[in-house]
Amino acid sequence: MDGKAPETKKHRGWPQDRTVASTEISRSSRCHNQVMQRAVPPPAAPARLAVARRLAVPGRLAVLARITAGIGGTAVAVGALAVARGPGRATTYAGSSAAGAALTVCAGLGLMAAGLVISLARRPARTGDLALGAGLCWFAPVWVAWQDGPPLIPSAAMVAAGFTFPLIVHLVLTCPTGRVGSAPARVLVATVYGEALFTAAVLALFRDPYFDPGCRANCNVNIFLVRSLPSLARAVQAWDRWFTASAALALIAVCAARLARASAPARQRLLPVHVPAAVFAVAVIARAAVLQRTIVEYPFSPALFTIFAAASAALILLAGGLMSGVARARAERRAVARIAASMDEAPAPGTLQSALAAALRDPGLQVAYWLPGQQRYAGAGGQGVPEPAAAPGGRVTRLTRDGRTIATISHSEAVPGIEAQIGPAIRLGLENERLQAELLAQLEELRASRARIVATADAERRGLERNLHDGAQQRLLALSYDIRLARAAAQQDGDTPAEMALARATDHAQCVLEELRDLAHGIYPSVLTQAGIGPALATLADTAPLPIQILHPGHQRYPEAAEAAAYFTVAEAIGDAARRGASDATVSITSEDAWLVVTVTDNGPGDAALMVAAADRVGALGGSLSTGPGLCRAEIPCASS
Amino acid sequence: MRVVVAEDVMLTREGITRLLADAGVDVTAAVGDAAALLRAVGSTQPDAAIIDIRMPPTHTDEGLAAALQIRAQHPEVAVLILSQYIEPHYALQLLEDHPGRTGYLLKERVYDVGNLLDALRRLADGETVVDPTIVARLFARKRRADPLDQLTEREREVLALVAEGLSNRATAARLFVTERTVEAHVNQIFQKLGLSIDADSHRRVLAVLAHLRGTT
Repeated sequence: MDGKAPETKKHRGWPQDRTVASTEISRSSRCHNQVMQRAVPPPAAPARLAVARRLAVPGRLAVLARITAGIGGTAVAVGALAVARGPGRATTYAGSSAAGAALTVCAGLGLMAAGLVISLARRPARTGDLALGAGLCWFAPVWVAWQDGPPLIPSAAMVAAGFTFPLIVHLVLTCPTGRVGSAPARVLVATVYGEALFTAAVLALFRDPYFDPGCRANCNVNIFLVRSLPSLARAVQAWDRWFTASAALALIAVCAARLARASAPARQRLLPVHVPAAVFAVAVIARAAVLQRTIVEYPFSPALFTIFAAASAALILLAGGLMSGVARARAERRAVARIAASMDEAPAPGTLQSALAAALRDPGLQVAYWLPGQQRYAGAGGQGVPEPAAAPGGRVTRLTRDGRTIATISHSEAVPGIEAQIGPAIRLGLENERLQAELLAQLEELRASRARIVATADAERRGLERNLHDGAQQRLLALSYDIRLARAAAQQDGDTPAEMALARATDHAQCVLEELRDLAHGIYPSVLTQAGIGPALATLADTAPLPIQILHPGHQRYPEAAEAAAYFTVAEAIGDAARRGASDATVSITSEDAWLVVTVTDNGPGDAALMVAAADRVGALGGSLSTGPGLCRAEIPCASS
Repeated sequence: MRVVVAEDVMLTREGITRLLADAGVDVTAAVGDAAALLRAVGSTQPDAAIIDIRMPPTHTDEGLAAALQIRAQHPEVAVLILSQYIEPHYALQLLEDHPGRTGYLLKERVYDVGNLLDALRRLADGETVVDPTIVARLFARKRRADPLDQLTEREREVLALVAEGLSNRATAARLFVTERTVEAHVNQIFQKLGLSIDADSHRRVLAVLAHLRGTT
């Protein structure tokens, strides 16, 4: 036994056959979790990383910290309830009535609960942490009123209370991706934090609550006080009210702009968070307006209490909206996982795209596969697609494996962390579909190449027919005319032997002309080029060795290649029918949608021959040819012209 | 007789011109494409235009298109299409598009200048000319129940000449019988084939050819 053995044994419980897709898991989780990278050795064995992901994500320390914060937060809430019922009860909304207490506790606990759920589920972690913080700060105004407690608590609570609003602004704007996104939103977030810090600092250092006419709760203690400057403190407080109202207005504007810009699926995700946020912002503005007219924030004032109730209700709804987002994401993840479970052995091309679009509720979702052999992107059917580019409100996620791109998914911006949602089985499915797309693309290329070969051969045949017609046949005609003139001259001169010889020459020339004409017609009948399949088949029937009835010929034209394929198929089938001793044949030409259907039936014994030449022609165009007893049927794709 | 010859292959054009000149026909112009043909017909006012079916620029059926234009602009000019194709489709198309004084002749028939002169004469007389080889091909066409089986040998001879565009009088002369006998044959034939008798010989030709091609 060497020293390395235990390390490898640690992971023996995990089946090694998960490796194909789990490399990707490690890659995706690396983006999301730095903790995991430190905790786990370099990605030597993919299976190990899959295990590591389960153990280390979202990181034991972070989980512990968040759970502690949750427990602490509950204590803060319970404590706040106790404080609210204490001697300072007349100074806070929570203490003013049972409804006030209930609203305070529900809003704060709701935010904290939502924050815990989101941060533990990492959807996304930052939004969760912000909600946790906002929930904690929400209780600060109650703690300010703790008159019997150590002076530090009300003093610190007074500072913390100012941060509820910036945290909520930040939290709302990080939904649903975890990033603030647009520049105006980033400016707004930075400004409200900066202003809150400034106000908190000024009030902590210079506001002596004893000299504050607006002070209602805890008007004795501020342990941070350096120097009492009541007028400065009052000015800053007034400034803060109006700044906060303006910021709330800006928040409403940003939310409205986002909702207006978002695609339908994205809007559905934004609404549960952005609408309560806007209501909260309205409450903030209303509070600023009311406080402008009263000196003291008196919790028993019906107007102020209504505003407080509206703000609390908005926060409760906001918490609900945040949690519904998590539930929604979970449902999507389960739906995506179900795709894997429901994948057949050979799903039809494109199944994954529609399944992912349905599971993630993003009808515009598109999967494109990179075909390295052809240096282009293709859909699941192998058809060429343009390089995926992020549309407005959309994003492109590239799934790679060993540095190679498997698939590129264009999706709505509102689907966060799509990379993490796509599990190993679906990655395997995507990889399979990519291989299938590559194969189909190669097949299509092959078919196009066959079609080109046939088209080139036909062009050569047409050229040959033209050359015969304009060259040899014309010279022979001219020669015949010359012989004819010589013969007339010989006749005039009474040179009978010469006249006889020239008469024989005329007959020979006539025979050669006939042979040449048949040859030219056999190479490529000019009537097919000039008049189309109907007249060409009629001519075929003129000279066929058996009666041929032609059904629905018409004068409609089809693409040259399709007409040639139809004509030569019929010619070959008639030849075969004659060989088998048929005494009667029927040819039917119909066009169904974009298909030309050619059917030749005859009364000859036995199956029609395989007709390789015709089958090759038809196959080259992507059609099919089948034969049976006295039957030959070709389906030729054609866009009717 | 004054004719214009339109044929893009110089050798053939000269051959035809020489044959005609030899036979005493006045070739007022010999041209190589449809545009020159229309100009020549306009300036020389010939009795007939002999037109190759295949001419530049596409070498398909410019001849037929030029014939249509000549008949529209100069209805007094007869049109004879020369072709190397034993192609009833073209002959039928010509007869459908240009009623009266039109003909479709295979080029090799022309080197017996007698055939060419005969055709020009018949066109001048207002008849229609369809190459005998084409008629023969339609007669030889394999059919399930051949309507031609009902005809006597003589009737078939008469039908073939009718299909070639001969009038009753010309047919009578060709068969050394009286015109009245030919009329009787024609009535009999049309009755057997279920065709309505049309006094217009041109329409009669078209009806017979279409009937021969349409039955299987």
